[in-house]
Amino acid sequence: MIPAEAHGTIALRASACTSCMICVRECPTWCIELDSHTEQVSDPGARRPKTVNVLDAFRIDFGLCMYCGICVDLCPFDALAWSPEHDHAATTAAGLVQGITELQTAWPPTGPPTDN
Amino acid sequence: MTSQGRIDVAPADWEQVVSGLQREGFVLFDFITAVDRGARLEVVARVINPATRVPVMVWTTLPADAAELSSLSGIYLGATWCEREAAEMFGVRFIGLGDSRPLLLRASLGEPPMRKSSALVARAIRDWPGAAQSTDDGRQGANPSRRRQLPPGVPEGFLRDNPLDSDVSGDVR
Repeated sequence: MIPAEAHGTIALRASACTSCMICVRECPTWCIELDSHTEQVSDPGARRPKTVNVLDAFRIDFGLCMYCGICVDLCPFDALAWSPEHDHAATTAAGLVQGITELQTAWPPTGPPTDN
Repeated sequence: MTSQGRIDVAPADWEQVVSGLQREGFVLFDFITAVDRGARLEVVARVINPATRVPVMVWTTLPADAAELSSLSGIYLGATWCEREAAEMFGVRFIGLGDSRPLLLRASLGEPPMRKSSALVARAIRDWPGAAQSTDDGRQGANPSRRRQLPPGVPEGFLRDNPLDSDVSGDVR
């Protein structure tokens, strides 16, 4: 039995990610890579178009990850979370690198039980 | 004196204070290690009174560039290993330590690796994923004057002062 709050893998919600790079910079093993670009978005009624980040790629190399969870703790937008999914087996080291598609399949995470 | 389980002593009183604790019943030596505070290096020893199970930590502060302290190996023989480790990891010179051979590291390693001034070479020769600039800085357009960020553990100018062979990075990748 794998408990629902198990730290099996790290799940990504790409729609919540603002490409702020905090997880990439704080990761002790440098296992996260992130590519992004900016786009101008014009809101109706706004005086100027605003610049928004668009996430192009997000990769976690689970061959390097030590499951410390610092990225999960530090993400200001809750775009990363623990998930009880745990299927990381691969036949090559490169197969342990997961992109947005794989990381999103673990979302929504079940998460730890609340006290109340 | 030991209400918080902590005693702060001057380096000159280090050996005398610990020796006094041993006479009071703190006969079990636990460990000695150090903490790098930049310009200062703090050294801490933990001893325990087995009868009361009360532990005491004795702290002292040394200048980082002249870290010398009396050895406790004459009081607790087991302190020898911890002092050898603190010597090679933090660069503390223990005066009176009989066996000063490196315990875990090569003698030729150079700078003590647990000092914060010691560069993490594996980080210097790999491209840091975090070096890519976030565009989320609240400003319009690119800002090329923004200073490039260095990864934690690589001092500024390290690569300039220590040019690495190009084939070294090939091995590590």
